[in-house]
Amino acid sequence: MTSTQLPAVGRPPADGRELRPPRRVGFSQTLGRWDVKLSPYLYISPFFILFVVTGLFPLLYTGWVSINEWDLLKGQGDFAGFDNYANVLQSAIFWKSLRNTISIFLLSSVPQIIIALFIAAVLDANIRARTFWRMGVLVPYVVAPVAVALIFGQVFADVGGIANTVLDKFGVDPVGWHSQVLPSHFAIATMVNYRWTGYNTLIFLAAMQAVPRDLYEAALIDGAGRIRQFFSVTIPMLRPTMIFVIITSTIGGLQIFDEPRMMDQFGRGGSDQQYLTVTNYVYQLGWTNKNFGRAAAAAWLLFLLIMVVSMVNYFLTRRISSAEQMTKNVKRKKVRS
Amino acid sequence: MRKPTRKFLAITAGLASVALLAAGCSSDDGDDNTPSETGDTTTAPVSDDPVTIKIQTFNEFGYADLFDEYMKEHPNVTIVHNKADTSDNARAAVQTSIATDTVTDDIVAADVDWMPELIASSDFFADLGTDSVDGRWPDWKNALATTPDGKLIGYGTDSGPEAVCYRKDLFEAAGLPTDRDEVSKLLTGTWDNYFTVGAQFMEKAPAGTAWFDSIAALSQAMVNQLDAPFEDPATDEITATGPDSQVKPVFDVLTSDKVLAQSAHLGQWSDPWFKAFAGDTFATQICPPWMTQIIAGNAPDQTNWDVADALPGGASNWGGSYLLVPAGGENVEAATALADWLTAPEQAAKVFVEYGNFPSQTDATTDPSVTGKTDDYFGGAPTGQIFSNRFAPISKQPFRGSHYFPISSALSDAYSRVDVDKTDDAASSWEKFVTAVNDLQ
Repeated sequence: MTSTQLPAVGRPPADGRELRPPRRVGFSQTLGRWDVKLSPYLYISPFFILFVVTGLFPLLYTGWVSINEWDLLKGQGDFAGFDNYANVLQSAIFWKSLRNTISIFLLSSVPQIIIALFIAAVLDANIRARTFWRMGVLVPYVVAPVAVALIFGQVFADVGGIANTVLDKFGVDPVGWHSQVLPSHFAIATMVNYRWTGYNTLIFLAAMQAVPRDLYEAALIDGAGRIRQFFSVTIPMLRPTMIFVIITSTIGGLQIFDEPRMMDQFGRGGSDQQYLTVTNYVYQLGWTNKNFGRAAAAAWLLFLLIMVVSMVNYFLTRRISSAEQMTKNVKRKKVRS
Repeated sequence: MRKPTRKFLAITAGLASVALLAAGCSSDDGDDNTPSETGDTTTAPVSDDPVTIKIQTFNEFGYADLFDEYMKEHPNVTIVHNKADTSDNARAAVQTSIATDTVTDDIVAADVDWMPELIASSDFFADLGTDSVDGRWPDWKNALATTPDGKLIGYGTDSGPEAVCYRKDLFEAAGLPTDRDEVSKLLTGTWDNYFTVGAQFMEKAPAGTAWFDSIAALSQAMVNQLDAPFEDPATDEITATGPDSQVKPVFDVLTSDKVLAQSAHLGQWSDPWFKAFAGDTFATQICPPWMTQIIAGNAPDQTNWDVADALPGGASNWGGSYLLVPAGGENVEAATALADWLTAPEQAAKVFVEYGNFPSQTDATTDPSVTGKTDDYFGGAPTGQIFSNRFAPISKQPFRGSHYFPISSALSDAYSRVDVDKTDDAASSWEKFVTAVNDLQ
């Protein structure tokens, strides 16, 4: 605090000299205090003002839409209370879309993060043409989702697709990539993984390079091999990055839209909703059925789902990757005391 | 049914992130303050002041040359053509402009399947009814662009009188006649007759060859012959799932074992379906004029397609579009004049000769340049005359209520479950259709 360093103002001096006018000093002091206290918030305020306009307002407005009857073209109707939520929750299609969303999320995010960690560890080692490989993993990320869907559409075509042709060589019956539930989720998860693994790899790689090298040296002296180093040094040191990557991929994974939308000619998630995700369902409610009220309710349910899953992930990640760290900290404290 | 939309162009990137925010974008001002300029806007003489008319179309309306011609005749007019990449995106653009009450284009094109929802927002569009267009179209074409109180909001462009395209070589292999006139006689009659001929075909046809492509495609043709497939014309209530359902008998016929055995089990508009035109996968295809372009485009080397002047169950129409003029636009008069000119029979005939979009204007369908057109791809078939013959007896289009689009989609899914994906039998697929339709209410 600056005020404590200034000479005491306003206190009657013992020798009875004339006082300086206190107001001016007081005001500049206030200004100075404001500068210190408010400026940081002013500097970051553009982002938050923009967020309130483009993020928070639509979010709350969607909440308002969801408790009204709301037609795409006719606009607001009667107040509906929680009818829209009840309708969505009673719809068999919503639960199917929830099943698909969670299944595709697990099939994409889990392998994605494990593979990304592995590739990052390899790229972190001393290899030739390092920059080439590091940039190489990001190339799929540059490809537009629609193009990815086109490419994998050829791979996973039910008739004459590459995947079925290869399976046929091994005597496996053709798989209905568009008609069966799990194969269709696998196909979509493959598209998602293709795009996002490289991105996550780079984030992990950056974090790995920030790990102090002396930790590895110490581990080496203690006789830890490569694998032991990876699990006992790299993973615990990556904890904050892990939390970031897992939360962003949770948010992304639960909002998968383009890939299932591009899976077939109609974009309705399959004739039996085999791969309709919640975001597809929201789109369908709003734009095909023109029922914005119900679409908004489904969107809010998805929002709550993402919040819950992110929370669970956050606490799980903290527990898992900090277990060893904590034991170390405890030991260290004991040594100090 | 939507006109051809190639699958992967269906949606653009970046929609994922708007899922939660999508609902926040609509304006809540409803119908009450929509600018309405109904009445005598079109009777005033069109001025010579410089004017820019923006027009949005989709797919191929075949207007490029006509725009040049019009701008040459009217030096004060500049036409800006905005072509949406797919009809779905064009539909979304129209919906958005209605929902937000903003006019971005002076003329917008709309597919027949969107007309019910546009009629429901008819205040957004100008009244286009004038003397000059009186009697230009048959009643069934105008009916879907006319509001209950008689306001005409759209000028018809093309139409889709259905015929049957067939494969001469496959017919021959199965011992059926191949001559165009004989095939026309063979296929004229009821749907029952069509499936009986199909059964004969299947007995002698080469292995792996089916009679038709997909039951969802046949359903389109059969639904187009009903009066009110999904909703009650008087009350707009959904009847498709009720005891008096008009589509249930159609569904039962199409999902019977006899008919399913004649299907190639292809999903309409899917990649394998497009590819199948080149192979020996099926022998007949319900064929509006625009379908002939799809066949020719996807199987350029297949020389055995021909067109029969027949449609099982009687003449009917599949598809077709309209031009609409938003009432809040800056150039309503000039836009109406252009839309009027573009949809005049003379211009419609030119579009058919050049691009193959069959006119919906009564006079254009009997124009010698239209009826005289032949198509080398289909063995020199007189396609102009055939489609003109198919057009004349059409007397109605099915009633399309406010839920037509989603019910139609749900029905198509119901057929795919039985025919293509084989995840359900007919009974359970119908149950799921009923559930999906009930969700709409």
